[in-house]
Amino acid sequence: MKVLRLKYEKNEITKKNKAIEVCFKCSTCSKFCPITQHVKKYNLEDSFITQLFEAEKPEALNDVWMCCACEKCVITCPQDANPTEVFTNLKEKSYQEGLAPSIVYRLVEQLLQESTVYSIKFANMIRKRAGLKEVKKNEKAVKELNVLAEKAGLERKEVN
Amino acid sequence: MFNYLFFKGCTIPASLPNVEKLALEVLPEIGINLIESDEFTCCPDPIRLQGANQYFWISTAARNITIAEEKKLNIMTLCNGCENTLAIVNHKLKNNPALKKTVNEALKNIGREFKGTIKIRHFLQVLKEDIGLDHLKKMVKTPLTGLKVAGHPGCHLLMPNEILQFDNPVDPEFYDQYIEALGATSVDYLTKADCCGISLALAGDKEASNRCVKTKLIDMQLSGAQLISTACPSCFNQFDSGQLMASRDYPKLKEKPIPVLYAVELLALAMGRSFEDIGYNLHRVKIPIKIKR
Repeated sequence: MKVLRLKYEKNEITKKNKAIEVCFKCSTCSKFCPITQHVKKYNLEDSFITQLFEAEKPEALNDVWMCCACEKCVITCPQDANPTEVFTNLKEKSYQEGLAPSIVYRLVEQLLQESTVYSIKFANMIRKRAGLKEVKKNEKAVKELNVLAEKAGLERKEVN
Repeated sequence: MFNYLFFKGCTIPASLPNVEKLALEVLPEIGINLIESDEFTCCPDPIRLQGANQYFWISTAARNITIAEEKKLNIMTLCNGCENTLAIVNHKLKNNPALKKTVNEALKNIGREFKGTIKIRHFLQVLKEDIGLDHLKKMVKTPLTGLKVAGHPGCHLLMPNEILQFDNPVDPEFYDQYIEALGATSVDYLTKADCCGISLALAGDKEASNRCVKTKLIDMQLSGAQLISTACPSCFNQFDSGQLMASRDYPKLKEKPIPVLYAVELLALAMGRSFEDIGYNLHRVKIPIKIKR
């Protein structure tokens, strides 16, 4: 059995997520993790969670964005390591470094333009079919969101 | 009558508009009055937008909560993701004065303040806490007798349990009780508490997403389910269009497709509506289902 060794010692991630150090790779969480269960390259011996915990630059592993924060790992972890929280922090770092999937940058762009993650134009086409009134862009809400984004330091990146 | 400010979110208005319409029509019949507002923005979602910037995620959710606080109304949502975000942020800000102070400094720039005066509830929580399933049972007009339904509670309404305190996250029961209260038969299946897999598709791995939803669908087939029901619009999409996608990889799914009904659609059937009334024609998987009435 492999022993979990953290390759990134006391870096930003371990400092922010002290819980990583208590993980003893029992794989209990992985049995319930939808990523380890269904993504072909992972298995219980070599799970998504342990690969992330062992990687030198875990924020660069795009699969962290597959984590749906279902918290099955949180319920089952005997060490209370809270992997979901670690993944959210890794996603944030990945986003800041421009390593997140382009869809995430597009979502942010859409949100800051119309205050919704859907395109109002396309939604209205579907709403018309259902006999519902049109959604209108709320300019005040959009403006407020942009202020909050600026205060939070949310970067917008151009993607193709 | 219980009054709630209706937080529609993004998925319902954009991809399940018939559910939005139905909720406004049918929920008053069981004692839930929904008040609409066009001031809300995206919640934002707990998977990707929380990942992009946690502080923006918290302050945007807090902004949404302040809208309901100003109106002195509790929020009701039809989406597990919206409930998850708004309830977590509401809880964090109510219990962490330092965080509340920081967020309020940001909100001050847009003339808002989080006070911590309202509750955030998912439709199922409103049923559980305000209406009560025994009472709902008495209000049902056309019980769905004989209909076998596989309930899918969805992940984000179950965890974090210490905040949502809704159901047992490992062995959830409420959704089955809801199905039974409508007169239908809830069927048990092995992977009930498992993820629907949509996040795998959203992150670009369609193969994994198909495998995940296939596992659940086969379990549901084996349990004899005629229908799936869920109260999460993202899970709904995974069981509806996602089922069609998965059936290309797994032809076995084509042999016995199982349609999915959103929780309010199932309720509407039990309140005397027809499949046509609930907007069943807008679904992707829409094989005819007969209900004994």
